[in-house]
Amino acid sequence: MQNKNEVALEKHGPVVILNIQGDITSFSEPFLNQAYKDANDQGTEKILLNIEDGAYINSGGIAVLIQILAQTKKNSQQISITGLSEHFKKIFNMVGITKFADIHNDVEGAIAAMSK
Amino acid sequence: MINMLENRADRTVEIILTSQIGHERIAMACSASFAEMYGFPKDRIEDLKTIVAEASINAMQHGNKGRADAKVIVSMIYQNDTIRVWVRDEGNGIKERPPNPDIEKIIEADEVLSGFGLFLIEQLADQVEFKESADKGHVIEMALKMKA
Repeated sequence: MQNKNEVALEKHGPVVILNIQGDITSFSEPFLNQAYKDANDQGTEKILLNIEDGAYINSGGIAVLIQILAQTKKNSQQISITGLSEHFKKIFNMVGITKFADIHNDVEGAIAAMSK
Repeated sequence: MINMLENRADRTVEIILTSQIGHERIAMACSASFAEMYGFPKDRIEDLKTIVAEASINAMQHGNKGRADAKVIVSMIYQNDTIRVWVRDEGNGIKERPPNPDIEKIIEADEVLSGFGLFLIEQLADQVEFKESADKGHVIEMALKMKA
């Protein structure tokens, strides 16, 4: 039972938003890696992962997201995340993702913070 | 297959899953309904869903080595404001507990280590134990209180 993600890229000034539809699991790896590559090809320095409201995220998905964080760090890019429930904000803090990515409540707030 | 047993002293639900990644969501949904029945708050229900999902995924991937015919049995009981969960597989259990994942090392080394599922279980559950199953296989026992 493999889930698929649809990832639409959207540019807002200096920020490229990855609008991620679907659950985030180990099966998300090819979809998110391709979307990150596409964003990277645009030469962006700021990336926002906008996760679909209510998406299921498991440990396999967390590992995929951490791979993306590793790539953004290597490429000296700023990365933020929106769309997380309070539960997943807690989980991301526990795992340490918040050391490498800012979490925002909504896209508008994230863009405002990243555009400074 | 879902069995519900009930008596005066306790209430138990048992779910039998095949080892197919994605089927952990069936156990998650059942655990959420079970916790709702006993008035668990939303944040604890989310914690329960995560520990049930991660224990089931570990049982499928590591315990049963992805063999689709191997079963994962998730049992839940409510007693004294606590839900206890047993997730059984047909494997040999954990020989050595993997270290907690260190995200800084992972990111610096640009590699992904395993162990996030177990880490989350230990962070979210109030009690975790690993045991050999009475018949064969391995079981992880977890307890989650109504209030953290």
